[in-house]
Amino acid sequence: MTAASSLRVAAVLDASGLNAERRARALGAFLRDGLHLQEGATAAAVAHVFCAADALRDDMVALAPTGDVRQIRTPSHRPDLIAAALAAFESGGGADLYVFPGGPLGTELAARLAARTGGTALTGVLKAAVRGRVLSCRRAVFSSQLTATIELGPRPWYVTLDPSWEDAAFEPPAVHSVHVEAALLRDDLSTLAPLQDVEELKPPDTGDLETARFLVVAGRGAGSRGGVERIAAAAAHMGAAFAVTRPVVMNAWAAPDRQVGVSGTRTAPAVCIVAGVSGAPAFLWGVERAGFIAAVDTDDHAPIAREADAVLVADAVAVLEALADLVHRPPD
Amino acid sequence: MSPMRIVVGFKVTPDYEALRPADWARLAAAGGPAERAEAARYVRRVLGVFDEAALELALRLRDARADHGLPTSLAACTVGGREAVPFLATLQALGFACARVDPGDAAADGGLDFAPTATAALVAACAQRLGGDVLLLGERGGPGGSGTVPFLAAEALGRPCVTGVTSLEPAEYERLRVTFTADDGPARAVAVPPCVLAVGNAVVSMVRVPTLKERLTVRDHPVAEYTAADLGVDVGALLAGSPALTSLEPIDRRRSGVVVPGGTPAEKARALYDGHLRPRLEQP
Amino acid sequence: MSLSREAIVEGLHGIVGPDAVVTDERVLIESSVDNFRKLQNIFDVHVMPVPAAIAMPKNALEVAGILSWANENGVNVIPRTGGTATEGGLESRTPDSVIVDGSAMNEIVKVDPYNMQATVQCGVPLQALEDRVREDGLTTGHSPQSKPVAHLGGLVATRSIGQFSTLYGGIEDMVVGLEAVFPNGEICRIKNVPRRAAGPDIRHVVIGNEGALCFITEVTVKLFPYFPENNRFLGWTLKDMALGFEVLREVMVNGYKPSVARVYDPGDAGIHFSHFAAPDDCVLLFMAEGAAGIARATADGIQEIVDRHPECTQVPSEYIETWFNDLCWDASKITAEDERIRQTRNVNRTTEISADWSSINDIYQSARQRIIDEIPDITMMGGHSSHSYINGTNMYFNYFFNVVGVGPEEETEKYYLPIIGIIVEETLRRGGSIVHHHGMGKARAPWVKDEYGSSYYMLETLKTAFDPRGIMNKGTIFPI
Repeated sequence: MTAASSLRVAAVLDASGLNAERRARALGAFLRDGLHLQEGATAAAVAHVFCAADALRDDMVALAPTGDVRQIRTPSHRPDLIAAALAAFESGGGADLYVFPGGPLGTELAARLAARTGGTALTGVLKAAVRGRVLSCRRAVFSSQLTATIELGPRPWYVTLDPSWEDAAFEPPAVHSVHVEAALLRDDLSTLAPLQDVEELKPPDTGDLETARFLVVAGRGAGSRGGVERIAAAAAHMGAAFAVTRPVVMNAWAAPDRQVGVSGTRTAPAVCIVAGVSGAPAFLWGVERAGFIAAVDTDDHAPIAREADAVLVADAVAVLEALADLVHRPPD
Repeated sequence: MSPMRIVVGFKVTPDYEALRPADWARLAAAGGPAERAEAARYVRRVLGVFDEAALELALRLRDARADHGLPTSLAACTVGGREAVPFLATLQALGFACARVDPGDAAADGGLDFAPTATAALVAACAQRLGGDVLLLGERGGPGGSGTVPFLAAEALGRPCVTGVTSLEPAEYERLRVTFTADDGPARAVAVPPCVLAVGNAVVSMVRVPTLKERLTVRDHPVAEYTAADLGVDVGALLAGSPALTSLEPIDRRRSGVVVPGGTPAEKARALYDGHLRPRLEQP
Repeated sequence: MSLSREAIVEGLHGIVGPDAVVTDERVLIESSVDNFRKLQNIFDVHVMPVPAAIAMPKNALEVAGILSWANENGVNVIPRTGGTATEGGLESRTPDSVIVDGSAMNEIVKVDPYNMQATVQCGVPLQALEDRVREDGLTTGHSPQSKPVAHLGGLVATRSIGQFSTLYGGIEDMVVGLEAVFPNGEICRIKNVPRRAAGPDIRHVVIGNEGALCFITEVTVKLFPYFPENNRFLGWTLKDMALGFEVLREVMVNGYKPSVARVYDPGDAGIHFSHFAAPDDCVLLFMAEGAAGIARATADGIQEIVDRHPECTQVPSEYIETWFNDLCWDASKITAEDERIRQTRNVNRTTEISADWSSINDIYQSARQRIIDEIPDITMMGGHSSHSYINGTNMYFNYFFNVVGVGPEEETEKYYLPIIGIIVEETLRRGGSIVHHHGMGKARAPWVKDEYGSSYYMLETLKTAFDPRGIMNKGTIFPI
């Protein structure tokens, strides 16, 4: 394969989940902005859209981030069948680069397919550049403390995206050319499903955190469940959304759906007040897109002091309650 | 009835949270794994956060099964050097049969940090040697944190794998009820051993502490030690085919850090509001 | 004829104003205990009498007003500032107590680099004072683990000691003058002089009184030059704890004053140093600081002494320096520990005593063995010596146990008090002191007469003279 020949890219999407649209956008934005080819090289990308619907619905195709679409029907909760379908595709010619959205399914597919097809996998990719026989990628490492440049060798390359790609704006193509592989997968009883009796539980209600323009986050420095509750009340009084850090959830001072950070929700408020939080990178990633960050903590040596625009060395609960007296706004 | 055999894989790493900015700068500038290890040489060692949850979930599963008269055998294994020894001693005292896999010189001192394929091969081979129906692991860990080791191990063992497991309970017919975090949110299902379960953000996140008497009882119990060769794994070849880490950079999240003046919390709040918040909150 | 809770609150309103009186039920319940019964807060199970209110006076006059009113009306007063007490000194044993909290008196009154003194009100956090004097290239030299959270009032009231005491001394060596308020409303100021022989040193009536005699409102402490660039760290592993004590003794007897001199037994070393110490290793460590010549001579002198003991194996100093940089309790560490206790029901407790060189190892060995033999569910039993003198040292017993079969509020009766009892017995038997620096609190008050012997007369007379109605912190130092 010469540098001038076309890089064959497969963008893989499970279209049946709640967040399918965000994942499709992530794939599209990455292919447009995150993947760099060599001088004169081109890429031919096909979206492989798996869906669990009984009938093949147009709205699922409409999400596809590429003009060319290969649509495959699969029973739900069957990553094994999706992996088998992709492995079969690969052995029949396949692609040079497979791109998956971030998350458990993408990780499973990338890992298993790399093992099965003699390729290489990498998760959480921020950017990727083709350099000859190598794919040079950037990803966050050491719990988001550093970024690494990592080179993948043997093809096919299987990469999953860093969740930040889901925030990017991307409009799918208006017209899609669809090849339907309707007959490829059946609910084949000879293949045992990896899990039985799968039941989706009520997803956490975090919509307000993702869209909030004014956010208050309470951390360990709130001192107690009572302290967290008082900060939450102050936030409500100010019309701000309220979130917490992982230690607060682990202490059972707040519900997990309020958690912000690498293992929680990612936010992008215009104004963010971070109270009693020391500032570990895994948390900071969750608020680093905020326009303005004010940190309140009694410890002026805490890492957050360097990563905030304004620093108040004081007790978190006292400051938030004083602020609540000054700011009384309806929720935005 | 034969026991359900659970093997928990865990990782011991430097306590990276104890590193200071100067140490991070040194680590980022390091030329290879040995130099990176040097930057973190003097901090204490800790269990991977998700691994620790996996260990405690395994113990609670054993206890829950015992309440129903169902036997369970527990084993714990780690790939690493002598820094794992104190942790293995604690786990033995808690009732785990323990094994350590020495990865060899090629992978010493963090050489496996960014090589999940090699790590998974060793973990899978060890789990197979120990005879586990269920392999429990933390969903991700270590500097790389790719989250792929559980799936790679599952692929090597020819088993299904669920990641993001947050709770684990006995179900009928020697199966397990798991709650886990899927792409679209929390879900619950029944897992059928043999399987691999990767533990994520479980509420139960810390492992219990053995008594001195329990430690004394197992003091002379051996820890099985394997080399990669014993397990038939060619670490060198796997490392050669692994992605190569070529550079590290600090992520600069620094902002201006202006200290807001004031004596009392109320004064500081007022200064913050007047000086910074009011103009921003009033914007449409 | 005691006042009702409402009457107490009303009385306080009249003295400090309603804004300075806290009656939030949740806050009062959480204030009923200190670290001694901290499991009650961690598990939210409370069984102590709930205080009637927390009063926050703004100055000494208001303190005098509160104390004289309390004295007239027989209301029990618990003086408090940072709230980091570990021996029950702050817990309310009697119903309807009033906590008098000095945190609002938080002004750094004066920093005087020329005379090397700083004057602060009782509610100033030690970290705040330390940060302030560092701006002038100085240090207080006082660094207890509670430094980020503790305030000067409490630190003086408990005769606290810090990590660098072997060089700088304990709080009693640092206090110059002070101001304290007595139950009869007398506000007494002791002036700042370097030394005097004008009768007995009355500062020592106040320093260590644990709120059982008076309320400290202001303190002046010495300042010292700060040379962190000269810090030297030294560490060794060795197998024999008795040898560890011997080496400490040699260092002290030869006149060296490292700021830190410690020996950890294998159990305690396992908690901190398992990344370089074997399971049966003791760890001996030192830090030398000060002017360049002093720091160097101290480090070299210690090196020479330990080099004469081939059983000691030196370790790279970076291990000691890294560990040391991580030692103080910030709010984050405290809540992380609470989280660990909640999940695992495994509790870490400490009890510290002091004795002469001849007795210390015996006390350590016998107390340790008795605890292992007599107390159930122990998961670690060890300790370290961390404050040495020419004529002896302390022993800081550090131990962990699982709370099994009882509620968290019963931890004290099932495990903690029996362990303290064993340590106290073994120490008293050999003529040591049952408390080196945490204060008697209410926890060790039952042994006050054993601790004092015939000198108890002097202590008791202080109490009856200054607090005849017994309103000051009932149960602290003097058992109920």
